[in-house]
Amino acid sequence: MKAVKVFFNGVLNENPTFRMVLGMCPTLALTTAAINGIGMGLATTFVLVGSNLVISLLKNFVPQKIRIPAFVVVIATFVTVVSMIMQAFLPELNKSLGIYIPLIVVNCIILARAESFASKNSVLLSIIDGLGMGIGFTLALLLLGSIREIVGAGTWFGMPVFSDGFSPAVIMILPPGGFITLGLVLGLLNKLTGRAE
Amino acid sequence: MSEGVKLSIKLFIITAVAALALGITHAVTEEPIRLQNEQVSLEARKAVLPDAEEFVRVDLSEYKDEYPNVVEAYQGKAGEDTVGYVFKVISKGYGGDVELFVGIDAREDKVKNVNIISHNETPGLGAKAAGPDFLGQYSGKPVGSPLTVVRGSATQDTQVEAITGATITSKAVTEGVNSAAELYGRLLKDGGAER
Repeated sequence: MKAVKVFFNGVLNENPTFRMVLGMCPTLALTTAAINGIGMGLATTFVLVGSNLVISLLKNFVPQKIRIPAFVVVIATFVTVVSMIMQAFLPELNKSLGIYIPLIVVNCIILARAESFASKNSVLLSIIDGLGMGIGFTLALLLLGSIREIVGAGTWFGMPVFSDGFSPAVIMILPPGGFITLGLVLGLLNKLTGRAE
Repeated sequence: MSEGVKLSIKLFIITAVAALALGITHAVTEEPIRLQNEQVSLEARKAVLPDAEEFVRVDLSEYKDEYPNVVEAYQGKAGEDTVGYVFKVISKGYGGDVELFVGIDAREDKVKNVNIISHNETPGLGAKAAGPDFLGQYSGKPVGSPLTVVRGSATQDTQVEAITGATITSKAVTEGVNSAAELYGRLLKDGGAER
């Protein structure tokens, strides 16, 4: 079935982080802890589904030549509206996800999916694509965040995983650790899937 | 109509609809957001001065030049009594501004609690300052004399143990607490504060 294929395309074959290498800024900045990965991932999934939905509804109205500025306006508006509504009416959700929402504006996955998928496919498929990509992004961030938190802080989701004698490698939760982890994981995945030359 | 004009009109429609949507959302959410922020700020003040039932803002315009890092002050009241003061202080840390709330118990002239609201310190080092192990040290400290940061164990009542590898952060927080304590003393002397 096409919907299933579209969904797993986002999670695996075209995983935004490990395959497309998109959205690196939030990926490197936020994956200092596993919980951040989940938070950013879920917030992105939500916006991705919403923006894919709106873009695919508008695809016949927006002329080809001005599609990029149109998409940017639609996405920025959508993110801002979501952020304001969350701050006003969902304080609990805002406390846990609120800090990630403004960062989504600088996340190119949203624009990439609008451009390469939602503007060419039906509303339903676009929503499924948003879900698949979002979940793929969430899983990738969770993996990177877990590695960095366990090695760099000695905890996982805030719980200690080593005995007291463990001295964490702080560099792993600092910015260089983000590059190191991402590089190693990308390399390993390419090796496992036979992509490396 | 030329193509350029057509495209311009379409883009104008899109941006106009977006602006309208933003304007409506802003109008609807402005008041609830303000209330939410006030609630958060109230809870932050309550956390550092739990005995207070309500907080009255203290005008700091006279002291702005002398204590530029103290940005807000509140008188904490329980019924008619003044139980203490809460100061919002911004200190320069290692990675940028460290925002803290300092609660001072006016009945005992002691620091009640200190809480860090936001910071940008190094994870695993300076960021430990926001944890209870470090901040707990300030509770019960006298406000009369300035606190100092020491490496290793504190031997005197006015000493605070630095976080290993984060002396700058430890000093920034301590200086913030000292400013709050000093300003509290000034407010008492000038009659701007009462016990």
